[in-house]
Amino acid sequence: MTRNRSLFALAALVLLALVPAVVTDSYTRHIFIIAFIYGTVAVNWDLSLGLAGLFNFGHLAFFGIGVYTAAILTTALDLSPWLAIPAGGLTAALAALLIALPVARLQGIYVVLVTFAFGQLCMQVVLSQGDLTGGAEGLVRLPYLRIGDYSFIRDFRFGYYYVALGLLTVSVVALLLLARSPFGKSLRAVRDNPDYATARGISVARQRVLVLCASAVFTGIAGGFYAIYLRVASPEVFGFSVATLILSMVLIGGAGSILGPVFAALALTFATEAMAGIRGLEEARFIVVAVAMILVLRIAPAGAIDIFGRLLAPRRKS
Amino acid sequence: MDGVLIPTLVSGLLLGSLYALMASGLSLIWTTLGVFNFAHGALMTLGAYIAWTVSEQLGLGLAAGFVAGIGAAVIAGVLIELLLVRPFYGNRNMMLITVMTTLAASTILERGISMIWGPRLKQLPRTLDGQVNLLGAPVSAHEALIIVLAPAVLLALWWYTGRTLSGRSLRAVGQNRSAAALLGIDVPRTFSLAFGLSAALAGLTGVLLGSIRFVTPGLGADPLVNAMIVVIFGGLGSLGATAGAAYVIGLLEALLVLWLGLYWTPSVLFVALILVLVFRPNGLFGKAA
Amino acid sequence: MTRLLEVTGLHAGYSAVPVLHGIDLHLDAGEAIGLFGPNGHGKTTLLHTVSGLLKPTKGSVRFDGQDITGAKPSAIVAAGLVQAQQGNTLFGDMGVQETLELAAFNPRGRSGAQTRLDEVHALFPRLAERRRQRARTLSGGERQMLSIGCALMCNPRLLILDEPTLGLSPRLKGELREAIAEIARKGVPLIVVEQDVEFLLALSSRLYLVEQGEVARMIDRADAPDHKEIMDMYFGEQAH
Repeated sequence: MTRNRSLFALAALVLLALVPAVVTDSYTRHIFIIAFIYGTVAVNWDLSLGLAGLFNFGHLAFFGIGVYTAAILTTALDLSPWLAIPAGGLTAALAALLIALPVARLQGIYVVLVTFAFGQLCMQVVLSQGDLTGGAEGLVRLPYLRIGDYSFIRDFRFGYYYVALGLLTVSVVALLLLARSPFGKSLRAVRDNPDYATARGISVARQRVLVLCASAVFTGIAGGFYAIYLRVASPEVFGFSVATLILSMVLIGGAGSILGPVFAALALTFATEAMAGIRGLEEARFIVVAVAMILVLRIAPAGAIDIFGRLLAPRRKS
Repeated sequence: MDGVLIPTLVSGLLLGSLYALMASGLSLIWTTLGVFNFAHGALMTLGAYIAWTVSEQLGLGLAAGFVAGIGAAVIAGVLIELLLVRPFYGNRNMMLITVMTTLAASTILERGISMIWGPRLKQLPRTLDGQVNLLGAPVSAHEALIIVLAPAVLLALWWYTGRTLSGRSLRAVGQNRSAAALLGIDVPRTFSLAFGLSAALAGLTGVLLGSIRFVTPGLGADPLVNAMIVVIFGGLGSLGATAGAAYVIGLLEALLVLWLGLYWTPSVLFVALILVLVFRPNGLFGKAA
Repeated sequence: MTRLLEVTGLHAGYSAVPVLHGIDLHLDAGEAIGLFGPNGHGKTTLLHTVSGLLKPTKGSVRFDGQDITGAKPSAIVAAGLVQAQQGNTLFGDMGVQETLELAAFNPRGRSGAQTRLDEVHALFPRLAERRRQRARTLSGGERQMLSIGCALMCNPRLLILDEPTLGLSPRLKGELREAIAEIARKGVPLIVVEQDVEFLLALSSRLYLVEQGEVARMIDRADAPDHKEIMDMYFGEQAH
């Protein structure tokens, strides 16, 4: 089963690596790049929410912190984007450490409230510190990613495509390794039976701190890359809508499954981008995603992949 | 200092009143069902827009606007309960699932509102014109009304849940669902009642807020975050603690704005919240679980 | 005599775990019956299914000629079938008096609530003494009294008591049994779950032994077996 899944994932990776050979228009490649970024954010959210069972609803704050770190470092300090992007991962991890301090000891709904409020307050801080962040207008005209004289936007975003795919791949591999490590096993133990895990000497508080920081690193890097790629940082990244979109990727893909959210991110990004192209659906696409998320929660709480699994299962038996 | 302090206290009271109205609605649903309604802010927004349409667009007056705004919020609230909360009763992960479904509901409402009413700012007229003197500071009569109305509504809510049988049935269902059912209390209907009442509070708050601030699709979302800080401070368990925390946060916010300015207030408030939680994980007034 | 309750071939359980495998029992108007049997063999599941807290997977429940299979608990209470739960803390933050008044909230209990409240106070004077006290501060025996009192406030035509004396001191047990016998004397039909078979025999006309989700045996008071035989049924032969 896991062997099959790894082979499947590997095949998918090879296919995605070959896509630019076939797809040469820059719009389709753009959607792929956005999907890879969202996929990275979704899969890391799955680490805290799905794998560790930590009710983290402030994950997009880590993304937004990465976005603004890269944007501020490149505009205010003229730092190279190559350094500003990983710096986003660092600041996001520090923010995760800050939020983990209270979250480590909280229970149930209060974890949801504190993490959620954290995300919203990040937005308020960004809006109020206009001198640094550009306020509601955000920061624009960030520098391109380039090596020597070669800008990554050239050749129909050829360079950005592979940076984004590389980011997603590294992040997924890291998470798969983490899930199989003793630490990953202890995470699932705490999620499924916290009392037993505590009795066996697993510290839930320490685990939560580690999980939040680990999930913030790649999310922050993805945020930094997102800012540099789009050349803007806008406070919208902290809003309800993006959070709902990414959350629906985690849920539709199947929380706790790591690979599921990646494929859901690809499918949903293409679906919502397609809808954005249709007049009158620019707003409605968020409604469609929200409805889809509710339906998945009602019909197949283990994710859409579970639906296919259940459809296939009886046939295999017969 | 004297000339600044009194207006600051009054604006703190106003903020506290609004937070108290919101937080009591959140607490009502939480204590009855164990569900946190993330669509509460969107219900406020819906109430304000419907009130604007009825009162301004149709010209039927503000009183009709109030009734329509609250009514629309109640209908939407009961629908949320029926469609997005009820299917998950008894589910092991009900609290988590309903966080997500009510978040989705809030996205649906907000985006739907922005599709229907468009991006142009709207404003509701004030319920009362003119100014009154409060503690020696001039305050608009509308804001004074909110400051008086909020404690009155809280008292009414306290009387209702404590003294009437229907209100007690809410508390009974919240404390022991199966025992309440065995006493013949219709539990599902009580759930709808809690959502309807809470939505009525949301609608009322939304209409009141709509004449202080511009009515936008995000009208309810911004104060919702502060109402969440209130319930984290006060705990969700009891009406009294929630209301108390609402006024503490409102006054604190007003004083912070006075001392530090609008820019730093959110950050300082949040750091204060984190510090409180590090030392008191059950909130400032919360009891150990 | 009319048949008040008729349970036929009842199957029920929790999600995937079946507990009841076809229970048959009945009760006539003016009668009291007793249920006994080892713990975890379906007595409480049976009562929950009859009261509507659990939906049966098969079988039927008829109350006073009406089919109440799978009806809502509130509708079943409205019909007059009322259950006092086992070991119940009821509503911890509510006062004794408040709780008793609330129990008369359903349409059935509303008329004549004051008279019934006086009757409950006469039956359990302690509830009158502690009327302002919160339920969570009551002793185990007082909680049981409150639970039974609440059920009486619903004006029952059939009262179900699930182990009303569980975990109480012998003195309190006696006190509560006295009160239950008093309720029976007033003509309220009763279904009582108890481990003390002698008490059940004194109270009721028929006893059902529930084992492994089935009625293993029905005992008529007229030809009741002696003590040792009952103990054998109860614990199995190997226990001796």
